[in-house]
Amino acid sequence: MASFTKAGADTVLWNPGADAHDTISARTYGFWLYLLGDALIIAAVFACYAVLNNPLNANGGPLGKDFLSASKGMLQTFIVLGSVLSYSLATVALKRGSKLGVSLGMIGAILLAVVFLGIGLGDLAALSAAGDGFARSGYLSCFFTLILTHALHMGFGILWMLVMLVQVGVFGFTENVVARLLNLRMFWQFQASVWVVVYIYVYLFGGAH
Amino acid sequence: MAAHNDPLAHPEVRQGSVLRYVAGTVLSAGAMYFAYVQSQGQHPVVQLLEILGGALLFSLVTQAALFFGLDASRAQIWKSISLILTVPLFLVMIGISVWAFASLYNRTMPDPAIMNSMSM
Repeated sequence: MASFTKAGADTVLWNPGADAHDTISARTYGFWLYLLGDALIIAAVFACYAVLNNPLNANGGPLGKDFLSASKGMLQTFIVLGSVLSYSLATVALKRGSKLGVSLGMIGAILLAVVFLGIGLGDLAALSAAGDGFARSGYLSCFFTLILTHALHMGFGILWMLVMLVQVGVFGFTENVVARLLNLRMFWQFQASVWVVVYIYVYLFGGAH
Repeated sequence: MAAHNDPLAHPEVRQGSVLRYVAGTVLSAGAMYFAYVQSQGQHPVVQLLEILGGALLFSLVTQAALFFGLDASRAQIWKSISLILTVPLFLVMIGISVWAFASLYNRTMPDPAIMNSMSM
């Protein structure tokens, strides 16, 4: 009598002797792919900004060169890089398993981020109060969208850090918490990369011409 | 990839170092300051674009290597490859959009004075 083997029973889909599945790497790689997708969204906003950055689309209103301050943008750049350094140093403390070091690094990053947002959002508020708000022209719509898209990332990053401060205190450095801290590091470094592109293209090149 | 009973022993946790992050911050901030100083000068547009583009590229490569830790190691190789494969998408998305609309403006907008002032 013929013996029947269930279909697929002998199929080796994965090497059973291979190293165990690396949950942290899987999570960080998945989050990295999300960041690349996010970067493409931001690239679309940059493309929009590049197209609308001309007098035709200013509708008689100001362009970047009329209201942007390169020196203030430089200050913001130093602040955002300082914030990234602070969080990055928090993950160096993570190597030692230091809850205090991780928490202090995150608090430093949050404080600097709040200062950054205060400067940026204050500028947008002043622009709006002068009658040059989001709806003034196509150019300003895209300018506000670009700046606020970055600010939104910073806002979520701050919120994420606040959550992680609690999780580090409550759960300690479990696999889940460590994976989240590593993803947050990538996210925070990513928003700094976005900002340097904003600073170079919008503040320096756009501000000069 | 080896299994890690201790999450703090994971390669992505171990990759961070004070020296690397400080160097990344200093180099990136230095590139931005250089770009700022150059933008205050009287460079022709194309030359300024080249200078700023160079500073930006330097800063981004520095951040990729020293912040994100991208390299060809087993732990990071697929992140590096996925980024390299995404870069052309950035260029296509921004480059074609700018080219298409610059061409459109030049062909359809009547006022030469405005056209001249559009040159970036």
